[in-house]
Amino acid sequence: MTRTILDVHILQTVPPSNINRDDTGAPKSAVYGGVRRSRVSSQAWKRATRKAFDDLLDPAELGVRTKKVVDALTGRITTLEPSVTPEQAWPMAAELVQAATGAKIEAPTRKSGGKDASDQGPEGQAPQSSYLLFLSAHQLDALAKLAVEGIGKGAEPKVFVKEKEVKARAKRSASTHHSVDIALFGRMVADAADINVDAAAQVAHALSVHPVDMESDYFTAVDDSNTSAEPGAGMIGTVDFNSATLYRYAAVDVDLLAKNLDAGLTDAERMGEPVRRAVEAFIEGFAMSMPTGKANTFGNHTLPDAVIVKLRSSRPVSFVGAFEKPVIHHETGEGHVRAACKALAEHIPAIEKTFGATADATWILRVGEPTADLAPLGTPVDLRPLITEVGQAIADRLRKQA
Amino acid sequence: MNSVLFLRLAGPLQSWGASARFARRTTETAPTKSGVIGLLAAALGRDRTADLTDLAALLFAVRIDQPGTRLRDFQTAHHADTDKAMPVSERFYLADAVFVAALAGDDTLIRTLHTALQAPVYLPYLGRRSCPPQGPLDLGVMDTDDPVQALSAQEWQASDWYREQRRRDRTVTLTILAEDTAHSPVGDMLRDQPISFDPRHRRYALRSMTSTQTEVLNPRYTPAVRNRHAPLPVPRHEPEALLSPMDGP
Repeated sequence: MTRTILDVHILQTVPPSNINRDDTGAPKSAVYGGVRRSRVSSQAWKRATRKAFDDLLDPAELGVRTKKVVDALTGRITTLEPSVTPEQAWPMAAELVQAATGAKIEAPTRKSGGKDASDQGPEGQAPQSSYLLFLSAHQLDALAKLAVEGIGKGAEPKVFVKEKEVKARAKRSASTHHSVDIALFGRMVADAADINVDAAAQVAHALSVHPVDMESDYFTAVDDSNTSAEPGAGMIGTVDFNSATLYRYAAVDVDLLAKNLDAGLTDAERMGEPVRRAVEAFIEGFAMSMPTGKANTFGNHTLPDAVIVKLRSSRPVSFVGAFEKPVIHHETGEGHVRAACKALAEHIPAIEKTFGATADATWILRVGEPTADLAPLGTPVDLRPLITEVGQAIADRLRKQA
Repeated sequence: MNSVLFLRLAGPLQSWGASARFARRTTETAPTKSGVIGLLAAALGRDRTADLTDLAALLFAVRIDQPGTRLRDFQTAHHADTDKAMPVSERFYLADAVFVAALAGDDTLIRTLHTALQAPVYLPYLGRRSCPPQGPLDLGVMDTDDPVQALSAQEWQASDWYREQRRRDRTVTLTILAEDTAHSPVGDMLRDQPISFDPRHRRYALRSMTSTQTEVLNPRYTPAVRNRHAPLPVPRHEPEALLSPMDGP
């Protein structure tokens, strides 16, 4: 079997900032190569990437995470079959959601509206699942289609869903055609392990390529309403921060992504299309996003200095080893980016040659002269061509594999 | 015939939980058998519900080449609908550590695993998905029955900076945590003998292991150079010489 694995490596410099902090408010850190580094946790950057999807993808390609799944499904049923009223659809929708996901469905206990809740009390609301369910638009549509069939037959919901074939179809609806965000980052459902999805993307914690010292900003704030009779600060405090050139790494198992998205199983023509869109959104979202921690305090809205994307057919390879020996600024006197690029330019060919782990294709996006050392490593590209070329290469490979 | 498969487990972060539950996800000080078997099962492409009997029967040992430091990470989450803060969780990692794991068993199975590591079906990670390995995992296969003895023969896999720190030591002493065979004495117990990775009912049995020590050569050993500097002459210190003699009785 030919495998398709995508590695994304990013060098990104941030000025004084506190992107991701621990419970004491200090920026997160980790020891690597025997020295302390700045760290941004994987979950922080995954969330930022997922948030970026809102602007990059059609809402239909993203999942809805809500307790009001019965409402959501009812909406789709009435769109599909306008003659059905929501009240008629609820019981069928509730039974189907329960059969598909294993989640418990019950009447909402919380009262909505004002004091006079007589006209919209709990009995006026659709039942809800007991925790947040994460379903894609495709999944809801498949369930709605099934519900309309049942309602059309005039079947009793409980009896209809008990039918072996109906139950199997409902289950299949929730375990195929996942949304892009679920396919990439996985889904956890507290007590329905059946519909868990194995994430296709692995995101490593970002680490600085150099040692960092924690710094602390002492501040005073003036109380504007104080008169001259009340001199002194309104408040004083400290904010911890550091600045860093980060090495960020993520691997996408494209085959697993295709499996999660269920691409092209029915339509050979569109083979690879959903996967291509997911991969393109991931590269753009991961490269261009920034966790929001203390962004208003530090305004640390930077973009990457360099992005290296590698297409591989056996296994992913992280290049974090290039920075195990920390890049020390005063060794070169020219900033961390140049030294980091030099380290990568030496490390990448060495590790690929030693272990016979050459990539099938390499794209290099780089900014400015300090990144010049990376140029010989692959095809030079800007962001737009990078995204479309990688997407195209993925689509071509999957088509060939099919 | 039996053989032993070696893995080098290194990366900025690793996390090997054996008793982690709920919001506090701890790590052991060395890779767990369940974690390493999980990594191998994933490389083979076995699903979580697949039968594990053959892999669980492998004899497991691990050598601590570079112990690393413990890192506590704190994670918050927000409710998707209301944006309310959810319970805070603590995750523990081992930062900057290097281990060598050895798995002993039937030669055919060991060779299959070795091949699977070259092109894993599911991508490998060191105990937690956000911990990709640094460098290849594979350290090769050796024809032997005894993982402990085989581990003692492996070269010291610590990072270069760490070996350099110990350059004055000709050899270093490393700890090996070895699974006890049925007839050997019972050591420390750890619940990391995998029975099923089925997410609906993950099950692990107790496993006993014994800690032993082994001495390996330090490839960066550089003996201290004695008498590099000849002893410096002690300067004469006679301040009185500067004083002119006093006339007096």
